[in-house]
Amino acid sequence: MSYMFSFLALCCLLHLVPLHSCESAIDSRIPEGFQKGTHTNNWAVLVDTSRFWFNYRHVANVLSIYRSVKRLGIPDSQIILMVADDMPCNLRNPRPATVFNNANEHINVYGDDVEVDYRGYEVTVENFLRLLIGRLPPGTPRSKQLLSDEGSNVLVYLTGHGGDGFLKFQDSEEISSQELADAVEQMWQKRRYNEMFFVIDTCQASSMYDKMYSPNVLAVASSLVGEDSLSHHVDPAIGVYIIDRYTYYALDFLERVEPDSRKTLGEFLKVCPKRLCISTVGVRRDLFRRNPDKVLITDFFGAVRPVEVVAAMDTNWPQSTNLAFKNSTLQVSYKKTKQSNLKHVYSPQFPLKT
Amino acid sequence: MIVWAVFTLILSSVSALGQSGLYGDEFHEELVLKQLPSGHVYSYFQFTTLWENGGDQPNHHCHLFPQSLSEVLHLYNVDEMHLSLTGGLWRHENWGYPVVSAPPGAELWAWFKEGTHDVDKKWTLLSNALSGLFCASLNFINPQQSPSPKYSFAPLGAYGSASQNRSLLRYSTLPREIVCTENLTPFKKLLPCDSKKGLSSLLNAGNIHNANYHSLGIHVRPQCKDENCHETVLELKQTVSLVYDLIILGQESRDWSFRKLFGVGLAGPCPLAKSSKIYVDCSTNATTFDYNLSPDPTEFINSNRGGYNTVFAVYDIKKTHIINMFSVSATHKGPRVQSIISPPVIHATRYIVGYGQEHGGIVTKIHNNHWKEIDITLFENIPWFLPTYYHTLKITANGGKQVLKPYAKHYLPGRDRSRPYTLEFLVTLPPRSVTEIYLEFDYSFLKWQEYPPDANHGFYVGAAAITTLLPHTKNYTGVPIDGSTFSSSINASRDTYPVTLHTEILLVTLPTPDFSMPYNVICLACTVVALAFGPLHNHTTKRLQMLDPSEETKGVIANLRQRLNSFLTQSTKAKEQSSPAPSEVIKSPQKEEAACGSKVTSRKKDRAAKSS
Repeated sequence: MSYMFSFLALCCLLHLVPLHSCESAIDSRIPEGFQKGTHTNNWAVLVDTSRFWFNYRHVANVLSIYRSVKRLGIPDSQIILMVADDMPCNLRNPRPATVFNNANEHINVYGDDVEVDYRGYEVTVENFLRLLIGRLPPGTPRSKQLLSDEGSNVLVYLTGHGGDGFLKFQDSEEISSQELADAVEQMWQKRRYNEMFFVIDTCQASSMYDKMYSPNVLAVASSLVGEDSLSHHVDPAIGVYIIDRYTYYALDFLERVEPDSRKTLGEFLKVCPKRLCISTVGVRRDLFRRNPDKVLITDFFGAVRPVEVVAAMDTNWPQSTNLAFKNSTLQVSYKKTKQSNLKHVYSPQFPLKT
Repeated sequence: MIVWAVFTLILSSVSALGQSGLYGDEFHEELVLKQLPSGHVYSYFQFTTLWENGGDQPNHHCHLFPQSLSEVLHLYNVDEMHLSLTGGLWRHENWGYPVVSAPPGAELWAWFKEGTHDVDKKWTLLSNALSGLFCASLNFINPQQSPSPKYSFAPLGAYGSASQNRSLLRYSTLPREIVCTENLTPFKKLLPCDSKKGLSSLLNAGNIHNANYHSLGIHVRPQCKDENCHETVLELKQTVSLVYDLIILGQESRDWSFRKLFGVGLAGPCPLAKSSKIYVDCSTNATTFDYNLSPDPTEFINSNRGGYNTVFAVYDIKKTHIINMFSVSATHKGPRVQSIISPPVIHATRYIVGYGQEHGGIVTKIHNNHWKEIDITLFENIPWFLPTYYHTLKITANGGKQVLKPYAKHYLPGRDRSRPYTLEFLVTLPPRSVTEIYLEFDYSFLKWQEYPPDANHGFYVGAAAITTLLPHTKNYTGVPIDGSTFSSSINASRDTYPVTLHTEILLVTLPTPDFSMPYNVICLACTVVALAFGPLHNHTTKRLQMLDPSEETKGVIANLRQRLNSFLTQSTKAKEQSSPAPSEVIKSPQKEEAACGSKVTSRKKDRAAKSS
């Protein structure tokens, strides 16, 4: 236990010291083959843009990714989940409060502990763009804000119905690839990310990342321009397609990832070969500086810091020697001191007849 | 394993502190189970946190009270707040009254502190903050759509004075709000033991959302600390109401148990709770039903309230030694008997009448089954897109034979896009009667961008609220206003028993344009055709002729002269005709006019001749 704590403490310390001055010094002491992280925190923006029951599979898609990032350590406070319609408690769902990834009910991707931040009519192009660039109306609660900084690795996952250069929101409006590219550029200029992993599962998906021009973005799409993204299979119990092919295989891969596993992004990019997906998975790596084969998948899908004990570091923390002080804070009585003679009364629950 | 041991050690030591009253707060958990006459099982969870210093300072240390909620209440000057998230409709006629009433969807009402200036702004911020806290779309509540009821929703808390400044009250409903696990998860996180220990561990999403009716409630109010009530404590009541249909749950059996209702058994009480009790209402056992409870309860309590007797089987979880899992189960004996359901004193239904997409009407029917007159308050909040007509309001009883006159009423007409139609009145219902309230409205057109993505689903109208004071406690389960826990309702006889009923929500279909792609294509094609057709038609059917502009002006003058000449000749003819018979002129004023006219024209002509 104590080792665990010192690991964590050391990790905090590593990030507290100014990076540039100490980087080389720390680098020299980090063992060979040890993953050098370039980020300090992780965020995930997961969006399902489709409404209506027949789009059940899109909700299953987004919840599959939600389940994976949560399992791999990103807390709910750093996941922004947008779901355009209610599938789990939809009256057509024969098993309330569940969304499954396959007809055999293998994994309930909705789970028992879920927090949806934007739901129903709140899922609009405007809200999505405002979330990315951080220009939200006053009074927006914390859970609806992307509070990332220049050290954040941001995972953006979109699913819905798309076409060449656009993605439909709720069957009533669209976001164009240019709008999305400009929003990402604004994020970069406002230092709202360190690296971004952009995943999109929709028809003609690769058209959505074509216009992007901001650095440090790695993008993967379930299909190329001119191709349709296909669904995996039908669940006869609910009468609709249950999940899309690309996300099905992506979840299949992510289920085998553990917070400490050494699987790389390079492997993730190959999760759905054409014989499984039927569509061609598109990848855009020219904006990304690192080699995806050397980037851990948990850099984006998890929130695990690589931690190693460095012998030469001073791990003696200032112990709280003043135990008396500690006790005194405990002894503070929270009882009220003032006494009032005012008598409180209950209001009549029904207006008096006059 | 070690971590768990350490955790439980910390938890138990903290609980010891909590119970010693160091922080001046306490936590109670209760579960009430009742087999309803219709055969459904009503289970009501109440988690009560009482905090002595709650109302004082903004940055007070929170121990059992959830800090996230305490911060919100302080920041926005909230005295009292009531939020409910509900799926399904409570059927008063068959089920009696619930402990806490809630309309389908989301309902939020709050009283702000005396002296709050910008109540509207604080209200917006409060609903936004709560939307983040409970993962609900409460941010769609805006001050324009939130009325301040004049008679209903009186404050439930204890205050320095009984006077009510109604401008500090805001009320709003979102009838379409869906309630699912994402709302239950943050709800459970506000509890001191989360869902890890205690009665809250029975709240499993899959089982809750399988119920006929499920409702989450958050109720905060200042409550008297003792009987003298010189001081108040902040009371937070978190409630979960569930109604299960045992037939849907399967196995074709009337027997129920924790495992059947909640999917799991109970591992033990929440260590932080001061009391942890389960009440099973056995009043109908051996009369309507005949079942055995197992295990044997800790005690039986006979509650005499307002002349009606209720028997509760009480399980004190704190005193029960739980080895494995604790589960209460009821096993029925004998054949199934369909019991006669005696409806409660007051219950209501509401529906839409009319046809077409122009006019409609709302009918609210209120049943009074008591032998005496009963006063009620009805509060209607109708969205602006259904403009109502106040002059069409008809309140009749007993099939229209008796016209009732409300003894107080308040009507605030709505305004497009900025204010709903609010109708509130107090009326005395005749004994043993059905009162019908009828109000007409129009369906209005929206702007095309105001339609939601699924416009064809229809638009919801929130539930009406009926407030009344019941004369007796038949079918009544409410907690008295001066009590906090459910146990305070035992033997709590009072003069009257306040109750609020919520009616059905309404779904109306507004005239909706077809937003589908084929329709748009047809519209566009028609526009193009129309634009092309006009000029083409003109070009093909009209012959263009060249006109000499100078000739044209000449023609006009000539034309005028010609007209004048013809007029003159006519008038002279008329003179000649009128002069020999003056009697005719008197008879027909028209002709005289014509004569006068001729004089004027002749004068004009003279003048024209002069000027020329």
